Amino acid sequence: MTTSAVNLRAVWKRFGKTEAVRGIDLDVPDGSLTGFIGPNGAGKSTTIRMIMSIIYPDEGSVQVLSADAISAKDRIGYLPEERGLYRRMRVMEFLKFMATLKGLPAAGLDARVNAWLERVQLTDASKKRCQELSKGQQQKVQFIASVIHDPELIILDEPFSGLDPVNARLINRLIRDLHDAGRTIIFSTHVMHQAEQLCDRIVLINRGEKILDASMTEIHARFDPRTVQVEPSSHDPADASRLGALPGVERAQWDPERHAAELTIARDVDPQSVMRAAIALMPVRTVELRKTTLDDVFVELVGEAMPSSEESGNG
Amino acid sequence: MAERMHASSMRRIWTIAFREFRHTVITKGFIFGALVMPVVMFAAIAALGMLIGMQMTPVVGTLVVIDESGTVAGFAAEELTPEQVAKDMQEALQRNSTLKNWPGGDVAQQATASLPSIDVKVESVQDATRVDELRAKVQDGSLLGLAIVPPELLNANPKDAEGNDLTYTLIVPTRSAPRLTGMLEKSIAKGIVKARVQRVGTDYTSLKALLALPETSVRRMSVEGAEADENVLAKTLLPMGFMMLLWATTFASGQYLLTTTIEEKASKVMEVLLSAVSPMELLCGKLLGYAMVSAVMLGMYGALGIAGLIAAAMGDLVSPGMLILMLVYFVMAYAFVSTMMASVGSAVNDLREAQSLVTPAMLILMLPIMLWLPISEQPNGWIATISSFIPPAIPFVMVLRVTASNEQIDTWQVVLSLVWGFAWVGVFIWGGAKIFRVGVLMQGKPPSPRELLKWIRMA
Repeated sequence: MTTSAVNLRAVWKRFGKTEAVRGIDLDVPDGSLTGFIGPNGAGKSTTIRMIMSIIYPDEGSVQVLSADAISAKDRIGYLPEERGLYRRMRVMEFLKFMATLKGLPAAGLDARVNAWLERVQLTDASKKRCQELSKGQQQKVQFIASVIHDPELIILDEPFSGLDPVNARLINRLIRDLHDAGRTIIFSTHVMHQAEQLCDRIVLINRGEKILDASMTEIHARFDPRTVQVEPSSHDPADASRLGALPGVERAQWDPERHAAELTIARDVDPQSVMRAAIALMPVRTVELRKTTLDDVFVELVGEAMPSSEESGNG
Repeated sequence: MAERMHASSMRRIWTIAFREFRHTVITKGFIFGALVMPVVMFAAIAALGMLIGMQMTPVVGTLVVIDESGTVAGFAAEELTPEQVAKDMQEALQRNSTLKNWPGGDVAQQATASLPSIDVKVESVQDATRVDELRAKVQDGSLLGLAIVPPELLNANPKDAEGNDLTYTLIVPTRSAPRLTGMLEKSIAKGIVKARVQRVGTDYTSLKALLALPETSVRRMSVEGAEADENVLAKTLLPMGFMMLLWATTFASGQYLLTTTIEEKASKVMEVLLSAVSPMELLCGKLLGYAMVSAVMLGMYGALGIAGLIAAAMGDLVSPGMLILMLVYFVMAYAFVSTMMASVGSAVNDLREAQSLVTPAMLILMLPIMLWLPISEQPNGWIATISSFIPPAIPFVMVLRVTASNEQIDTWQVVLSLVWGFAWVGVFIWGGAKIFRVGVLMQGKPPSPRELLKWIRMA
């Protein structure tokens, strides 16, 4: 039986008249890499802050690592969305301070900090003041601060924001390494493809409520593909309306960039039959059943009216 | 389990406290502000005295006195000898009872040592028609001054035609230093008085001796019948010194606490800290850290002050009991000021916003400074008694009262002030912690006092 690293039961949090979190139940399995996604102001950061016992729920219970949230604090690593360092402190000193706060003994701290600085390619920075570092370097120092005490549960709020592709790949690899080493990771992001690439489980929060909580496999099974892309040999936009008339096609749209028609298939129709009918109707270059992306799921569940996932921030 | 949690909580509090202490005390700013600055100030004051001494030029020249009687100039000349000028200055300073036991030593002797050398010749002119000729000499600088004494001025209570007090005229060059002019003015005035006394056939020295006010030896008698010397320094300046020491040390730390809390919010390091510690642990750590900073300052300046009193043979003004009470009131004062500063720092985004929230409390805390004189003169008066129960001014007023050593404060008042004061400290910490807990995570518009009360109820 899988145990839960995080267990929330009927959790409510209000700020004045605003209901930031509305009766959320949540189980984050031990050893999972769970993505928290949702639009701006959805309640993700509030939920995370309650897991971290930075704030407390008005109703409901929060259990972290089979204990109450406060007593588990030393076993959790947290990279907040709003990052900050003591600007005048030196990197080594800051990391040792954070490690001591998290309960690590003084003996062996230097070696541990140096090992981590080496892993993130910041060996030269140990004696520098935090204010002398670039934004990317500061991000890496903060990442170390959140994992230096080897926590069982790691919560990363937008860990890639502000990182260049090289450093983003480095942090991505470190997250995978930590996951492979058996750590439970909660990863909040508004960039869907990152969540899709990294996570094995997704929790979608909208307007303070959990509207999706499933593994990626379950999501792919549940949100089966409903879009067929057909590229006619003629590249004629008029072919889109002919394809739209096929049985089982709800809507057809011409994509001028791809010179292809996007066909939306009705729920009770087998996409394979539409693909066969399209080939039979006209000469085609390619016919492809498009895979459902997390972006599609997000838009379907949260609604077309919401800002696109690339634009939306954390909630 | 509970013990382990308590231990880890204490570890976090101490880690934060030590960081705050280390990053405040072992910094150039603190070393300069708290250690070097006072030394520089004392050195500057000493240097200023030296510079003034160095720029003093010898007073050499002639003063002419136009006086029909011809008697004033001689008496004025007696007043302008170096010995007489020094003697006058010493007498004036010694009359000031506050300076009698000044820790720096004999003030009168030090002051007369800084006098310039004096060689003034006083000439008497009885012919009033020479005024224009002598005025021209003053103008070209060949005379130090010209005094024109009307003959009627040598009568008792002389008046002019309109019935106003009659005056004599002293004409000096524009560049004449005010100190020199004062010296000439005084010598001629005394010369005129001596001439008047001589005119009525009395000896000036005997008359002066008869008119000299006797010195007073005030003895204070307690209700138990014990007698003690009256000491103005002990009664007024010492309580002020103790109170200012308390004020300066607690407010310096409070200011550090306010600015670092605002900085932590602005630099977003607050949430990183809150991922590792609870808001209460963070607050306790910060309060403890700056308590140590405050204690360092109190110890440093307090020890210097006591050493100064001992050096001035006034060590008996400070009793061990007084020092223990001072320490207890220091704890109370620090708790009031620091809780206030930490909670305000957590609620605002910058120092400008903090000012509007701190000002009302600062007005109450200014009370002991404004009421210093009436409280230290009458430590058992109604002003002192009432103001010593107004939080958060309690410790500052009580320090004024208990260090005003000539009057014993009723023990029940001391005990009540401690119980009442620490009860209020509890209220301040309780409310401050609630504001801190909400404030540290708040961004944007600073709260109004009404919103702060709402936070206290909400947290």
